[in-house]
Amino acid sequence: MDRKGIEEVLKTAMRFGADFAEFFWEHKETSTIVCENNGIERINSGIDEGAGIRVISGTGSSYAYTNEVSLNRLLEVAEMAGRALKSKDAGIMEQLDFRTPVAAFEPFIEVPPEKVEIEAKVEAIRKANKAARGVDKRINQVTVGYGDIKQEVMIANTEGIFVKDRRVRTRMSVNAVAAENGVIQTGFRSVGGTTGFELLKNDYEPDKIGEDAAKRAVLMLSAKAAPTGKMPVVMAAQAGGTMVHEACGHALEADLVQKQLSVYSGKKGDKVAADVISVIDDGTIPKKFGSLRYDDEGYPVQKTVLINNGVLEEYMYDYQTASRENRASTGNGRRESYQYRPIPRMRNTYIAPGKLPPEKIIKEMGDGLLVTAMGGGQVNTITGDYVFDVAEAYIIKDGEIGPPVRGATLAGNGPETLKMVEMVGKDLGYTIGICGKEGQGVPVSDAQPTMAVKELIIGGRFAESRKNAKIRRL
Amino acid sequence: MPISYEETAKEVLETVKRMGFDQAELYVQDSQEMTIEVSEKTVENMKLAQERGLGLRVFSDGRVGYSFSSDLSPEALKKVIDKAVHNSKQSQADKARALPTPSASFPRLDLYDESIFQVAVEDKIKIALDIEEAARSYDDRVVITEKAVYQESKYSVSVFNSLGLAVSYAGSYCGGYGVFVAKDGHDAQTGFEMRYVLKYRELDPGSIGKEAGDKAIRMLGASPISSCTMPVVLDPYTVTGFLRVLSSVFSAEEVLKGKSFLKGEEGKKVGGSQISIIDDGTMPGRLGSAPFDGEGTATEESVLVKDGVLQGFLHNSYTAVKYGRESTGNGVRGSYKNLPEIGITNLYIKNGSMSKKELLRDVKRGLYVTEVLGMHTANPVSGDFSVGAAGLLIENGELTVPVKGVAIAGNLKELLLDIDAIADDLTFFAGKGAPTVRVRQMSVSGA
Repeated sequence: MDRKGIEEVLKTAMRFGADFAEFFWEHKETSTIVCENNGIERINSGIDEGAGIRVISGTGSSYAYTNEVSLNRLLEVAEMAGRALKSKDAGIMEQLDFRTPVAAFEPFIEVPPEKVEIEAKVEAIRKANKAARGVDKRINQVTVGYGDIKQEVMIANTEGIFVKDRRVRTRMSVNAVAAENGVIQTGFRSVGGTTGFELLKNDYEPDKIGEDAAKRAVLMLSAKAAPTGKMPVVMAAQAGGTMVHEACGHALEADLVQKQLSVYSGKKGDKVAADVISVIDDGTIPKKFGSLRYDDEGYPVQKTVLINNGVLEEYMYDYQTASRENRASTGNGRRESYQYRPIPRMRNTYIAPGKLPPEKIIKEMGDGLLVTAMGGGQVNTITGDYVFDVAEAYIIKDGEIGPPVRGATLAGNGPETLKMVEMVGKDLGYTIGICGKEGQGVPVSDAQPTMAVKELIIGGRFAESRKNAKIRRL
Repeated sequence: MPISYEETAKEVLETVKRMGFDQAELYVQDSQEMTIEVSEKTVENMKLAQERGLGLRVFSDGRVGYSFSSDLSPEALKKVIDKAVHNSKQSQADKARALPTPSASFPRLDLYDESIFQVAVEDKIKIALDIEEAARSYDDRVVITEKAVYQESKYSVSVFNSLGLAVSYAGSYCGGYGVFVAKDGHDAQTGFEMRYVLKYRELDPGSIGKEAGDKAIRMLGASPISSCTMPVVLDPYTVTGFLRVLSSVFSAEEVLKGKSFLKGEEGKKVGGSQISIIDDGTMPGRLGSAPFDGEGTATEESVLVKDGVLQGFLHNSYTAVKYGRESTGNGVRGSYKNLPEIGITNLYIKNGSMSKKELLRDVKRGLYVTEVLGMHTANPVSGDFSVGAAGLLIENGELTVPVKGVAIAGNLKELLLDIDAIADDLTFFAGKGAPTVRVRQMSVSGA
């Protein structure tokens, strides 16, 4: 496709009278490798190419996609999308004057995955598998997953945006199962980012990833059942940002806010968290899993301060939610693939670090629970109630770290939790995940410093159910 | 109706054969979809989709390679062949990995309804509007339409392999769902209902909207109850949530890998004596039905649990060889992008003999669960789960006040054994179905 063809497609989509039309083309090459039972079980590589056309008219929108990407077929699809929105007056579009916005961030890929032989990828996986199995004889199953993706996109719209981009991501995860006397425990570790194969060559050692997962599984074998009830909780930085993602991230997405489906609707300018809390969603951090040059609507991604010293300053907008308020997008319009229309989504979301050394926070806590690894979670954005899994935790007694415990789930209310944060550490730890919303999964990362929360409910009370937003850990 | 991919398949399979591979298989999928979302009486989003693609699996002495493409041009196919062949060289050899034994016959199923596609778009928009109208007019406290949706799809699937298999079928379905919020003061509750059918005339938008509205309204004013151990009744939708976790527990592959808590339990009692669990890809009128699975093996009715006793597991061609038996036709593919993995067709719990009313009658004080939160964190290996729950309190056999903010925790293995009553109201939600189920007792933690 060239600019001329794309222009023709956009004009066809607008022919039936509309306010906006957008073209999104993608060509994706992926490799996934799975090692289980001590052998390489699956190697799958493929090509997926397709294009989607979106038309907006008033409050309505239509989206049509195809993976047959000839100009003729795209013109047909554009006409379908245009016709689907019946408008009063048909319009003839003027010449489109395409321009490419300046990006705030330039990712650098050192070792493009397509330049790496499958043998080298397999080698890294074998290393992780071997290291995990070598940790302890009670490890009886190890699954290593590896994936890389090269996505080329072309995005153009009738506002004149024209963006061509190439995105590369690589990830590896290890799941280890340990068993003893009928008790089965699992441990995992995953790494990934907008990087090439340098992820496993320079940034992380595959053996270490395997070992970490296996050690966690073995440690949990000897762990006792977690205490239940209300208690003070220290969330270690290494546990990552599941809490911030669930507790307030989703509820700050503008579509939910505008539909009155968020506990933060109409609260801009209000004090919504403790003074020590600043929440930021930043798509421009080098190498992070949710980083992008442009979002999936062609807007440069930015660093967006959502909560500043406890005050709600901003929501996350895509084009459509931004135009409803006559303002600019924050570059949060994302989609899983050409098969989906973009919606407001998080990128890399974190609570800004403070000044305290993490050890000091644990000391001052006295008695409570120290959470060092989290699993998946889920949130009800209307009420802010959330729940998530604790993968690794320890008892804190008299300011000292005690024995490990297992089986804990943390439940709380987002806004309340953020008001109850008493201490914030100077460290910052990231986790990666695939965040699901409206059936679309997008790569994100989230982070937080070591934090002390006055009290949370452990394994006890839960929120009522609502499945509009959940995160699956990689 | 499906375009024939026979020529393409023939060429690809022959090329792979010339490269020295004894076995190969080509899977081709073609689909079209339409989704209409309305809100506040206007169309908010309309989605039209068309997708096709193929996946090539090659075998050489137990080594498997896979590659897929949405581009069907000769150049792209050449790339697909090269990649599949190259990938196979790095994979672990396992003699059990081979093409399935060809099925002798396939079930005859009526899966395609042309009338879905003859109806005008305006009438389909009306279905979504009717869902919204039924929910909003159910009670004036139903004030937000999060979504009211009509959806339809048609697809065709073909499987070709070097053993001479060349089969294809076409199917279609339509349906709708609604998500609504009811408000009363500061209290906000969500209600959800969905229904998918194979025949257009079976659609009933009014009942979808009414049900969703009722679910939101009946939860208004919900509060936690104090912690205790009590009988728990799970509604059909909640039970299908548990079935989702069980689907991997019943997978022979997970069993082989030691990742299922039912490993080694064949022939043993694993559930209450009323419970029978069946996977059946040959059911008329069901969304999970198909004449053959993702590797061209005929589907069948597989009884997994009969009167509480574990009969067997779900198999694809690989696990069938490992077990020295036939595949159950459960080598399912989500898409041409994936290798066939063990999955479900229509997985359901058989109806019991009592009505839901009778089932509730014996409960003095218990919890009727209509929604669970965090089911995806349940552990299929250990069976442990701890989920948030909401529903209604049962007092002297009657549903009384709404309950939220409680947790039910336990172990799936124990839960199955603790099932002491099953109602006769089997309801399907897409490919999973269940009647109302009563569990003797569970630990409910609340305020």
